[in-house]
Amino acid sequence: MNVSDDALRNRAHWDETSAVYQEQHGEFIGGSEPAWGEWQIQERELGILGDVAGKDVLELGCGAAQWSIHLARAGARIVALDNSAEQLAHARRLMDEAGVDFPLVHGSAEAVALPDASFDIVFCDHGAMTFADPFRTVPEAARLLRPGGLFAFSMLSPFAWVCWDEGADEVRTQLAGAYFGMHREETPDGAVQFNLPYGEWIRLFRHSGLVVEDLVEPQPGPEARTTYGFPLDWARRWPSETIWKARKP
Amino acid sequence: MAERDDLEGAETVSYLEKNRESWTKANAEYTDERAPVAWAREEIAWGMCKVPEAEVRMLPDLEGKEVVELGCGTAYFGAWLKRHGAARVVGVDITPAQLETARRMDEQFGLGLELVEANAEETGLPDASFDLAVSEYGASIWCDPDKWIPEAARLLRSGGELVFLRNATLAVLCWTDDDQVSETLQRPQRGLRRIDWEDDGTAEFQMGHSEWVRVLRANGFEILDMAELYADENTTRHAYYAFDPEWARRWPWEEIWRARKTA
Repeated sequence: MNVSDDALRNRAHWDETSAVYQEQHGEFIGGSEPAWGEWQIQERELGILGDVAGKDVLELGCGAAQWSIHLARAGARIVALDNSAEQLAHARRLMDEAGVDFPLVHGSAEAVALPDASFDIVFCDHGAMTFADPFRTVPEAARLLRPGGLFAFSMLSPFAWVCWDEGADEVRTQLAGAYFGMHREETPDGAVQFNLPYGEWIRLFRHSGLVVEDLVEPQPGPEARTTYGFPLDWARRWPSETIWKARKP
Repeated sequence: MAERDDLEGAETVSYLEKNRESWTKANAEYTDERAPVAWAREEIAWGMCKVPEAEVRMLPDLEGKEVVELGCGTAYFGAWLKRHGAARVVGVDITPAQLETARRMDEQFGLGLELVEANAEETGLPDASFDLAVSEYGASIWCDPDKWIPEAARLLRSGGELVFLRNATLAVLCWTDDDQVSETLQRPQRGLRRIDWEDDGTAEFQMGHSEWVRVLRANGFEILDMAELYADENTTRHAYYAFDPEWARRWPWEEIWRARKTA
């Protein structure tokens, strides 16, 4: 499979930082129920994926597979992909601890070595949609879905991206970067992150043959906590994350 | 329940009347005088950024289409659509002074628009009688989306399209209370829905993108496209409305939604 320079760069980044990442966040994102994003808002509350029992499900950028383990237990036929072998080693460890087994695929979500129309759900919680180029991953998700299949993913909202102060490495109320042309950003820690303006996402779904089903901008509760250092008062007032749902007709 | 209904009724009357007052004043101060220039324009262009339709392509083929413009003001936008092939254009507006200007322009330019004085939230026009519903800074910001979107759905034939321009959410979040735009977020997006302006008593409706996706989907629309509009180096300030082209080069000032009625 053709792996882009950015995918190789992010692979090196995640291989290097995986241990520290799982140490810092592993417990927080490995709760007793599947939950979304940096505020760990429960799937039970948001209902993004619906009933997964008996469905073929692909996770793009599974990390230590905390999500996939939940979905395997809920009866999904899971395949979990990650671009980092180190992250997949953590996934294998958690799967063994949980006593579940499913295929792990080492590769970039930009070019997945799996056949066309082989999944009912392709999803991602931050993960690959943040660290791979959407102009490659969205058509790839559309290719992997069966007719009627669901593509759902969460990531930092475009507004949080615009308000991100790179020097301070935190979100502000000041518009720090341009919105126009938002696509690819090299971060100080050596990774490459991606995002698009709201309208560009819609346009990309349509061009990839997907129909927009929903856009959720989840709001953390007043007592919400996170290990990601995002200020709660900001996320209470503006969307810090977006979850898109698009369907293949 | 009756109490609540009464209260909502009173609120509706209040913002519609305030907005009518405000547009009567704007008509006397600006839009009437501006109308001949706007009507004479050959090219369809969007919003204060004046982005040509030929560039963004947010409208369907207009040839032979029956079009309703919701909140048409002086109806220059409907005039452009008629000139670009629409078979019929019905302009709906709540402000008599604006419609008077529209009628005078229509006589002068001989385009044969139909102009109806009505609230775009309940037009009184028949079901399924249009192929295209448009709103450019009309119902799209001055009417309640939970009322005018269902009304647009009702007016459209199956497969018909809804295309509207509104302020970009990021710009709305950065508006200051004295009509400027800041480079700092000024108001929360949570709870954003209706903004009551203290200076002139007008109320406008602005929401985040997830709310727009949901109201369109809930009313049977498939979302076809959304274009966020920016200024370029040639964009100038507006003669009457607050607009900062410098700001609008980096961040979106306006956005156009395009949706199709599926059922």
